[in-house]
Amino acid sequence: MIATLMQLIINGLLLGGIYALISIGLTLIFGVVEIINFAHGEFLMLSMYASFWLFQLYGVDPYLSLFMVIPAFFVIGWATQRIIIQPIIHAPPLNQIFATVGVSLVLQNAALFFWKADYRTVRTVYSTLSLKTGGLMISFPRLVAFVLALGIVAALLIFLKRTYTGKAIRALAQEKRAAMLMGIDIYRIYKVAFGIGIACVGAAGAILIPIYYAFPTVGGLFVLIAFVVVILGGYNSLVGALIGGLIIGVVEAFSGFFLSPHLKEAVYFVIFILILLLRPAGLFGRA
Amino acid sequence: MKRFWNPFHPRFYFPLALVVFLFILPTLPQKTFYQDLILMIFFWGTLAAAWNLVGGFAGQISLGHTAFFGIGAYTSTLLWLKFGLSPWLGMFAGAGLAILVAIGIGIPCFRLRSHFFALATIAFAEVLRHVASYWRGLTQGGVGLLIPFRPALGSFMFRGKLPYAYIALGMMLLIILVSYLIRHSRFGFYLVSLREDQDAAESLGVNTSRCKLIALIISVFFTAVVGTFYAQYLLFIDPDSVFSLPFSIELALLTIIGGLGTVIGPIIGSFILTPLDVLLRGWLGGISAGLNFIVYGIVLVVAVIYFPRGIAGWLRTWYEPLLNKLPGSKLALAPGETASSQPYTTRATNPGNPDPPDEQITAPLFKAQSLTKYFGGLAAVKDVSFEINQGEILGLIGPNGAGKTTIFNVITGFLSPDSGRIEFRGKEITGLKPPHKVCLTHIGRTFQLVKPFNNMTVLENIMVGTFSRVKGAPGARAEAIEVLDFIGLLRQRDSLASSLTIADRKRLELGRALATKPELLLLDEVVAGLNPRETEEIIKIIRAISQQGITLFIIEHVMKAIMTLSHRIIVLHHGEMIAEGTPEEISRDKRVIDAYLGEEYLA
Repeated sequence: MIATLMQLIINGLLLGGIYALISIGLTLIFGVVEIINFAHGEFLMLSMYASFWLFQLYGVDPYLSLFMVIPAFFVIGWATQRIIIQPIIHAPPLNQIFATVGVSLVLQNAALFFWKADYRTVRTVYSTLSLKTGGLMISFPRLVAFVLALGIVAALLIFLKRTYTGKAIRALAQEKRAAMLMGIDIYRIYKVAFGIGIACVGAAGAILIPIYYAFPTVGGLFVLIAFVVVILGGYNSLVGALIGGLIIGVVEAFSGFFLSPHLKEAVYFVIFILILLLRPAGLFGRA
Repeated sequence: MKRFWNPFHPRFYFPLALVVFLFILPTLPQKTFYQDLILMIFFWGTLAAAWNLVGGFAGQISLGHTAFFGIGAYTSTLLWLKFGLSPWLGMFAGAGLAILVAIGIGIPCFRLRSHFFALATIAFAEVLRHVASYWRGLTQGGVGLLIPFRPALGSFMFRGKLPYAYIALGMMLLIILVSYLIRHSRFGFYLVSLREDQDAAESLGVNTSRCKLIALIISVFFTAVVGTFYAQYLLFIDPDSVFSLPFSIELALLTIIGGLGTVIGPIIGSFILTPLDVLLRGWLGGISAGLNFIVYGIVLVVAVIYFPRGIAGWLRTWYEPLLNKLPGSKLALAPGETASSQPYTTRATNPGNPDPPDEQITAPLFKAQSLTKYFGGLAAVKDVSFEINQGEILGLIGPNGAGKTTIFNVITGFLSPDSGRIEFRGKEITGLKPPHKVCLTHIGRTFQLVKPFNNMTVLENIMVGTFSRVKGAPGARAEAIEVLDFIGLLRQRDSLASSLTIADRKRLELGRALATKPELLLLDEVVAGLNPRETEEIIKIIRAISQQGITLFIIEHVMKAIMTLSHRIIVLHHGEMIAEGTPEEISRDKRVIDAYLGEEYLA
């Protein structure tokens, strides 16, 4: 029993690393630009396809494809902010919500149109590799995914702490007007933040493709989790998103084992509502 | 007010002609393809109009309406298949269940800021889809439910499309009527006001939580009923078709294109987009699934960025001129539509209003005892006690950050005090929440940063205030006109609040609070940012308000204003009260000079 529990916790944490990476992108965009990116899951879907095709057509290993996907998705995020979000940055929430909802609709159905509804994944030599220690099984690609995800999150946190742009992003997330008065070009920072947020899901997609399938609606699965993580972590706390991601990973592993994998969405939603009722500011958020 | 009195006036016969046309419409086409199209226009129009009650009027963006649609469809279908209960009854069972669920979702989620409300509703609909797929014993999961075709009136199944078309039309006309009645009622004004600014609406006595919930209930009722209709029409439902996110988005798209928050907008949206959708599915769906949604997505993005007002807003510019060209437009619309011309000022002495200040006063009107409010570890207000006498003008001054606005917020229910006691007219109102309850005890307030309802006219802004006392729209309008006359905004009555100058916005803010007929009115920097002439005029208005017997409590930085207006002044510094007295005494007080006024003020 202890071994089973340990195994569940490990499985959950490994999964949680990726959730954290996806959620941190969402949190960053929400914290700085103050919109919820409803197309976040679709960008993830797109990056999974990107890594898939890089592997399929050019034999690029998914982990290697990170070096292409991350910059490419930064640019995509930058452009999305510039073309779609910027014109409605001062508009009522309704316009902002439906702008990203519309983007999500377009991307999802474009994927369906170009790549059909088939489930696609990459088969690498390490896809089924696993490590056995002390009665525990640790899937190799999941371990790599976990390490890479946490590595990227750590790099991002250091970037935000150390560099001028990083500091500007944090300043903006805290107090927009003061940041503007300090001479920060807020529209540039918006674009950078959106770019980084999308680059995070870009990375997550490349890390996910060896262990998961790409299909047009895959984003919906992950973005629902990311939304719960963001609420759990407290809207604008990156560390909260990190810990929240890990928690949700473990919760998923447990509910899958003890209830049913089919009911995990229902479990998320119950958590979602409970947090809203009991601690609307999230576990790590400022009240 | 009887709007449609004269049957020969175009305002009456033009809409009537449109309705007659709608009744003829389904009989025109011979091909079932076009009959189906017309039916679908009514179907989507009804759904979009139902969505519009919550998303448009109340501004609460639901992306989960598909959940209520699905609950309606599944409930009536299961009741019919398992127990043989007629879908006509199952329809109401489904609507009832959907309403119960909506209340359960609405109460926690309406506390969320708009983005998160949308998020919560998406999540909820997704969960229902998974539950419907998972609960095979009940729903047969992804296989779906097939309803055997047994045409009869009682089984809600018919040969041919015409009966369905007329049922759909009936539903659509009903929701148009409901929307129209809401839009022109107190409830409708309240919904729009809370969409525009929730805090301001609360301060005017609007129970925003209840209004949102009622709007959701009405909306969900129609959505679930149409769900049953859908199941009976297609005779097949499965989780992916009745619990789909694109469905919820489509409702919003129709409404936005047609005109968000208007009565007729969603219907117009359906008349334009439903045929387009059917055509797109016909042309593009053959090439590949999903292509129509790509077009939809692009239309949605372009619409919210470039045409957020929709077609109805643009239509209005030629609808009125068109009516005026039609025969009969010169006829009188209704007999004697005149507002009572009694000036507002004379009402102040009506019986029932507070006694004039010079009479014997036994107890103060308002009492605050040891009010304390912490923000984190910082005491924003610390042990502050004061009284306000009937008919008095009490000034509240102090440096920025001294806690002045916090005191207002604690009194009016926007914040709860950590300790202390507040009494008004001898009754304790400490921590009375939410703010609309405070308003209804006859304490009014304005906000330092004015909060006009931007997309309402000046008159409508004031009416939100008068509605706290007058239930019917005609009465509320008449009273609002008196208020407008009093504050000098009568000429701008039909302008949108967003088009006013800052001085006029301040007047509007004042008028709106006044319209609730408070006994105690809290004014938060009403002359800040105005030029000397504008300041003079506002001071005159404040004097006139005071002369009506309304007690005033005012925060002001403009010394000339506060010193000439106030009978008494209290001074706040770092959350503590450092002085209290007549303007004369205050201006000589050493501590006040050090903390706030500065040496120059004496000189």
